[in-house]
Amino acid sequence: MNGAAQTTALASPLGPARRAVRDPLVAGLVGLCLAAAVALLVAPPAPYLINAIGQLAAFAILAVSLDLVWGYLGILSLGHGLFFAIGGYVCAMHLLAHGAAVTGALPDFVQFMGWKSLPAYWVGLDHAPYAFVLALALAGLVAFVFGLASFRSRVNGVYFSIISQALVYVAMLLMYRNDTGLGGNNGRTGFPLLFGWPMGSPGVVTGLAVAALLALTAVLAGARVLVGSAIGRRMLACRDDETRLRTLGYSTTRLKLGIWCLSAMIAALAGILYVPQVGIINPRVLAPDLSIEIAVWVAIGGLGRLGGAVIGAILVNGLKFWLSAAMPEAWPFILSGLVLLVVLGLPNGLLDLVGLRLRPTWLRAAR
Amino acid sequence: MSALTVEALTVAFGRFTALDAVSLAVDPGEVRAVIGPNGAGKTTLLDVISGVTKPVSGRVMLGDRIDLTKRSEAEIARAGVRRKFQKPSVFPALTLRENLEIGCGPALPARERPARIASVLAEIGLAPRATVPAGTLAHGEKQWLEIGMVLAAEPRLLLLDEPVAGLSDAETAHTAALIRALRRPDRVILVIEHDMGFVEAIADRVTVLHEGRTLYEGSMPGARRDARVIEVFLGR
Amino acid sequence: MVDPIRRALLALWYLALLAIPASAAPLDRTMFAGSLCKDGAAQVGAAEGLVRAGGDLPADDLAFAGGLLGALAERRLTCPPDGALLLESPNAAGGQDAVTGAPRPSAEARAPVLGLRQRAAVETARGVVALLTEETPAARSAGLAVLERRIATVPAAVLDRARNAETDAALKGTIAGLAQGAALSSPDPTRRRAAIAAVAASPSGAAAARLAALKGDPAYGSDPAFRAALDAGLAKVGRAVTIGDGLAILYNGLSFASILFMAAAGLAIIFGLMGVINLAQGEFIMLGAYATYGVQEVLRRFAPALLDFYLVAAIPVAFLAVALVGIVVEALILRHLYRRPLMSLLATWAVSLFLVNLVRVTVGTQNLQFAMPAYVSGGVPLYADFVVTWNRLFAIGFAAATLVLTLLILRRTPLGLDIRAVTQNRDMAACLGLPTRRVDRLAFGLGSGLAGLAGVALCPIYSVNPGMGSGFIVDSFMVVVLGGVGSLAGTLVAALGVGGANVLIEPISGAVAAKVIVLIGIILFLQRRPEGLFAVRRRR
Repeated sequence: MNGAAQTTALASPLGPARRAVRDPLVAGLVGLCLAAAVALLVAPPAPYLINAIGQLAAFAILAVSLDLVWGYLGILSLGHGLFFAIGGYVCAMHLLAHGAAVTGALPDFVQFMGWKSLPAYWVGLDHAPYAFVLALALAGLVAFVFGLASFRSRVNGVYFSIISQALVYVAMLLMYRNDTGLGGNNGRTGFPLLFGWPMGSPGVVTGLAVAALLALTAVLAGARVLVGSAIGRRMLACRDDETRLRTLGYSTTRLKLGIWCLSAMIAALAGILYVPQVGIINPRVLAPDLSIEIAVWVAIGGLGRLGGAVIGAILVNGLKFWLSAAMPEAWPFILSGLVLLVVLGLPNGLLDLVGLRLRPTWLRAAR
Repeated sequence: MSALTVEALTVAFGRFTALDAVSLAVDPGEVRAVIGPNGAGKTTLLDVISGVTKPVSGRVMLGDRIDLTKRSEAEIARAGVRRKFQKPSVFPALTLRENLEIGCGPALPARERPARIASVLAEIGLAPRATVPAGTLAHGEKQWLEIGMVLAAEPRLLLLDEPVAGLSDAETAHTAALIRALRRPDRVILVIEHDMGFVEAIADRVTVLHEGRTLYEGSMPGARRDARVIEVFLGR
Repeated sequence: MVDPIRRALLALWYLALLAIPASAAPLDRTMFAGSLCKDGAAQVGAAEGLVRAGGDLPADDLAFAGGLLGALAERRLTCPPDGALLLESPNAAGGQDAVTGAPRPSAEARAPVLGLRQRAAVETARGVVALLTEETPAARSAGLAVLERRIATVPAAVLDRARNAETDAALKGTIAGLAQGAALSSPDPTRRRAAIAAVAASPSGAAAARLAALKGDPAYGSDPAFRAALDAGLAKVGRAVTIGDGLAILYNGLSFASILFMAAAGLAIIFGLMGVINLAQGEFIMLGAYATYGVQEVLRRFAPALLDFYLVAAIPVAFLAVALVGIVVEALILRHLYRRPLMSLLATWAVSLFLVNLVRVTVGTQNLQFAMPAYVSGGVPLYADFVVTWNRLFAIGFAAATLVLTLLILRRTPLGLDIRAVTQNRDMAACLGLPTRRVDRLAFGLGSGLAGLAGVALCPIYSVNPGMGSGFIVDSFMVVVLGGVGSLAGTLVAALGVGGANVLIEPISGAVAAKVIVLIGIILFLQRRPEGLFAVRRRR
């Protein structure tokens, strides 16, 4: 049934735990990311390519965050764009506040909103560590409140998915308003500096891409250790039979809530890394379609395989970069076709095609 | 005094009354079988004891201090109650060893787990297959694994929901032996079963439920002689 | 640059007119014609004299004066030294004597020119004539529209006469309203107070504004009786307007809820049966609207006489077309995903992406134009500013009919029995030999068809374009979540709740806040009843 896993498991008395770390796909991807980071530093390619690699890495982090809850906990969030956006917006605020602190010139929108200075809640955002911690904490807090309300009342499955979609939809409507001070429809852009260096300079572009790759490495490795641990086994148990796990004495609410908040914070990290690379954040990242697309990356790459999520995110977004420029009319058709193909024909995602069939067939039924 | 007391328990689903003021008391160390035709409320009784369903009224006391109807499923489990479901419910994605590890419960220190798991594996006779995923087991093996999972926590109240449904005669005999071996002075075992032969082989006393009410309580031979029980089981 | 002599003449003419008693019967036709042939001041004088006397003049005199004024405005009036001449067309060689009707050549006649200053007075006079003498309500209404701009100069007698003679109810109401407006600015305090009471008797936002404007009137400060009358009137109107606006909000809420119900009923049936949420339901609504458009265009081309009935004709077409699409989607895609409900979310999303872009590429992204037959345009004013608009009533009635029909299908047909059986216990139904797969497919068709019907119902209300589906979908999901599984009554109550809450909160704190509050409300509600409103508590 599952030859590779069984042999590794038999090799040691505590097989499963060791087996978890020995994931050739994740190990390969971690190596690839590190190699790419080194390559970018040693022999940098064209800046647009560096930028694209950096963005792909951010998307891959986002995909891993969703795979953690969907693939390993059975919770499909159709609202992960919200946490991504929280990271992105707070990062944008930091960049603007930082620019204002260094140059002494307030951003244009301050005058536009009729303010004299940046509002009180921007205080301290020019300090990067505070801003990043705030972004993660905010994403975690929102996730905690929403997750607590949902998991406590045992809202799960499709219900949870569409309520999370409503959450991101409402957030989108909220951010489209102009009175939030976050730019409404136009969002926030025109970031002058990053850590004091001019935005868009080759060093900053490369630095951001390398940072994103290193973050992806850390997230991927960390997530792999997590899902291979005792907690990871409880996650799988909870995914497959939550009632059973509860009757064995485990508080599944706490387990789900913890992983859910962790996942939200990882998504926010992706947002933090993404915004300086594209130079803009606007409410379109909160569109429900974008949140569903994250799930599409995971499904296409291979649900419940962290490496699959990374591959899916890179593959789909790479295709999107290329095709939405080359034939914008055709891209939606290709994407919908790809989704249907994978959902109907390749239950384990494209990993099925490559022959990396490490998931036993009896797992296919698991959502 | 009783180890498990059910007092005037009433459960309703919509307009349907599944349990109607059911009471029963089980002594420490006793193996009690709850029997009755389909729809008698047997599984509902287990659902209430394990916290899956909340009653309209009534109490379920574990010992003389803990009212199970006021606790969540996880709290009930941590109080030492374990349930084996009717449909074998093991975690298919995990190996036998991992299933048993989870079965030990969150309270057992990690140091003590390997020994506990090894002893349970031996007890249920599945030690050679410790590292295969549970999803690949045969039906009977899954039943034994599940019994092992609930045993791993050394429960003081063990709830078994039709443990021999769908098993062969040989497997049934194996299961009966297993359950007899599980008896402890400080442990209550509550079994729900259709198979009269099996019940006679394992139970100290039986409770007969019919349409949500207690019809009979006493020894199995007594139940066989009871006119109302005969009518319910044979009369229609 | 007013010539002082002309001004003096004007004053004299006024004095002369004032000297004539108001009831002075027939018009001096020769003098009237003569005045029109004189200078601008005389023209204005004649026109304004006609307006003042209009309430009492016989109809034939009015028609005479109207003909002359019309000719003057259209440059068909020429003035020989001894009278006035009406021509068939400007610059014609001959015409009729304005007074006697005798034919005369137009040689040596001077055509008076109507200056901008005089035109207004002449137009007003023609408006009075049109209002009092025209045959059709439309023509009278046009005359009234002219008067509306200068209502202060129109005497009450003219408006009273027009109102008493008016046969068209709507026009009569308009005239009465204008007469009140004129009376409100009357110099006579009694008449003003009566007018205030009369205005307050038929309250509306316009009436409130009209009364509120009077607060600036000097009489408000100086005349306690006026002040009391005005305050009482304002309070009464304000109350009525609030009630009327409340009714309007409820009505809008009801119509929004109707659309939501139709969108969500199909979702709820499908979800109850198969545990699948169809993310393409919004696009199915869009397809229903496009099918309606198709029916309209076919009728326009092949049976223009029946064009008005396109909405009715579209009902079966949209239902069947979208049901067919649903059945195809079920057979090709969802059938394989019943054990993986979360994947079915992605699959139906892909379907929605496909459909939106297919319509975009084949039909275009523009809003579709729909004909508005009488039964969906306009409405009946019911109370204050509350107007029962036909298009929304159409949607409400449509939803009610859909509800009844769906209930009949679920309760009274074999398919309905099968659907309920499979919804409640799929395994048992399968054991009893029910073809559960076929039931699934037909139910999916039914649910999709209902979305198609929602598309028909919203054609007269909302704009129809490829992306329209996304506007309804999140709200209808919330309806399904709130309503619970497998209960049409739950869906109905939830649709009323979500639709009503959206519309109620919107005027207070804005559309976005309404959505936020509804979402938070639903999440809080689920804390107490995770199964939704009406779901029966079941054994797990």
